[in-house]
Amino acid sequence: MKNISKKKKHDLLMGYLFVSPWLIGFIAFIIFPLVTSLYLSFTRYDILTPPRWIGLQNWIRMFTQDPRFWNATKATFKYVLFEVPLRLTFAFIVALIFSMKESKVLNLYRAIYYIPSLIGGSVAIAVVWRQIWGYDGIINALLSIFGIHGINWLGDTRTAIWTLILLAVWQFGSPMLIFLAALKQVPTELYEAATIDGASFWKRLTSITLPMITPVILFNLINQMIHGFMAFTQSYIITQGGPLDSTLFYAVYMYRKAFNDFEMGYASALAWFMLALVGLFTIIIFKTSNRWVYYEAEEGV
Amino acid sequence: MRRNFRLLMILLVLVCFLLAISPAQQQVTLRIIWWGSQDRHNRTLKVIDLFQKKYPNIKIVAEYTGWSEYYTKLTTMAAGGNLPDIMQQDHAYLRGWVEKGFLLPLDDLVAQGVINLKDVAKNIVDAGKLYGKLYAINLGNNSQAFAIDPEVFRKAGVPLPPTLWTWEDFKRIARIIHRKLGIYGAAENLGDHNVFRVWTIENGGYLFSEDGKSLGYEDDNVYASFYRMLLELQDEGVIPSRDVEVARGSVSPEQRFICLGKSAMQFTWSNQLTAMSQALKGKQLRLYMLPTLNGKVGNFLKPSMFFAINAKTKYPKEAATFINFFINDIEAAKILMAERGVPISKKVQLALKPLLTPVEKEMFNFISVVEKYGAPTPAPDPERWQEIYNNVYTPLYDQIMYKKITPEEAAKKFREQVMQILKR
Repeated sequence: MKNISKKKKHDLLMGYLFVSPWLIGFIAFIIFPLVTSLYLSFTRYDILTPPRWIGLQNWIRMFTQDPRFWNATKATFKYVLFEVPLRLTFAFIVALIFSMKESKVLNLYRAIYYIPSLIGGSVAIAVVWRQIWGYDGIINALLSIFGIHGINWLGDTRTAIWTLILLAVWQFGSPMLIFLAALKQVPTELYEAATIDGASFWKRLTSITLPMITPVILFNLINQMIHGFMAFTQSYIITQGGPLDSTLFYAVYMYRKAFNDFEMGYASALAWFMLALVGLFTIIIFKTSNRWVYYEAEEGV
Repeated sequence: MRRNFRLLMILLVLVCFLLAISPAQQQVTLRIIWWGSQDRHNRTLKVIDLFQKKYPNIKIVAEYTGWSEYYTKLTTMAAGGNLPDIMQQDHAYLRGWVEKGFLLPLDDLVAQGVINLKDVAKNIVDAGKLYGKLYAINLGNNSQAFAIDPEVFRKAGVPLPPTLWTWEDFKRIARIIHRKLGIYGAAENLGDHNVFRVWTIENGGYLFSEDGKSLGYEDDNVYASFYRMLLELQDEGVIPSRDVEVARGSVSPEQRFICLGKSAMQFTWSNQLTAMSQALKGKQLRLYMLPTLNGKVGNFLKPSMFFAINAKTKYPKEAATFINFFINDIEAAKILMAERGVPISKKVQLALKPLLTPVEKEMFNFISVVEKYGAPTPAPDPERWQEIYNNVYTPLYDQIMYKKITPEEAAKKFREQVMQILKR
């Protein structure tokens, strides 16, 4: 009896020993900063002097005294609300087209369509985008051919955020690949049977394809939503949060609070609020998912 | 054989020991950090080379970045306890760094003659003083200016204004040029906080009070009247509309409208004249003080940047020696020229005079005009200025120009929000 427990203990120890590199990394670089930032959110901390406990002041200030916090939240919500559905729809349509035919050329196109996702988040693309939509940019030059002059895309509060949404939709590559993989998983006999029964393309799409890939839609939705809430580069480089904070993304505001104003405590509070929000939305989506997501295996044929 | 080998080993160890210990006795390594353009990096590195040749016992390790990430980097270094021995510091940040005890008081080193400030005017030295002690050495002088394109003035048939021109003159000229030539009379960021600062001085106060704990002007009409003037000019098309400026983002001196031939006047710092003239292929721009309010001058000499010494440095004397070399050595000055603003030492200024290009000459003359007419340099900003600028000044400026708020409302909000931050 004693022997066995000793062996078990030994196994356990060995197990922990083998995962220890990961475990140490996890504790040092995830858990520790996480807990520290929670603590910091109740302090005033400018990096140079030690943090000072101020209780709930950061949180109170955030909700009652900081109009820019609301600007940032609004801008981010607007962005996520439009960017995620648009990007997913676009990704799905392209994936659908790719899944219908199989050929070497198509594989090449698949790679080409993925490129924006690889480079789209980069600073270089953001700078190019800035030029394209600028006052003297390509878009305005093209429009002037048709007699439309001087739309100030980046300087107008109504249009600025749409240039960012458009850039994000353009980077549809990774959800597209995931959709593509899911579409290939849909059993062909379902389509064959439906075709024999005389179902149209539209009917097959809504009654077979979409229900069959709902788990993947769920995955993409949550993934892209989290991604959307964390968007940074576009706003930081292309519009610098302007005009009038209409494109001030939450992550940019947080970064500025931390590294321009050196308010680490306040920035930590901002970060935790965002975490809570994203968590809340993820839970909501998960909770509603059993109404619209179809898992084949659960049916138990 | 074996004995020989042992002897050899002992000798080797001894030699190693000597090698290790002997340079340590005299060789001093200093770290220095600054921000700037590539041009500044090149010039500064050349001066460091020169210094190391003259003082072979001091080795200098240089770190440099652009402005935008400079203070993020420096603050992180301070938090990690590995600040360089010599740091370039900005006027706006000086107070915070002094209050937190990161900078060494330099009065003793000046008294001992390690740093020689004999050829420097007192008010220029005092710009680095806080709470009665000298913490930073001014590296060059700058001032707010309007760059003016004389060719455009000639084309519009407008004579160049007198040195002490007024805001009324400015508006009149800008309107004539706009009407006759169809370009902007004045461009780019006229509501810059630096213009507003001058405006507050002309109105008998300053942006902040002496102790940096409140605003330095009583009447909110000072703020409101400034923006009323800008709105008026914006509506007439005499200055670019704010949404055009916002869409253009922050532009470097070379890309300003005046360099593209789209404007006759431009607010600038005097040391940026070099960059602007280069963009204009050497076409000579003139520098003017900002317009006066019925003769009252608000322009002042601003220390462009400072060198300060880390309070915890092991080698204060060597660090001070370098700073002294930087501001007083003629050979060094010939490399640096006026890239950091007009040198502070009268001797250096004299030595550089024959070497100046026409553009640099214009800068030197302009600085001496400001020295003659200008207001005294105000005290450094409160520590939270950056936060005020990012979260209060600029957003309100935009809101006024986008007409989401009236100048009068903004004036009240500005005071409220600034006080909220200063009291926190």
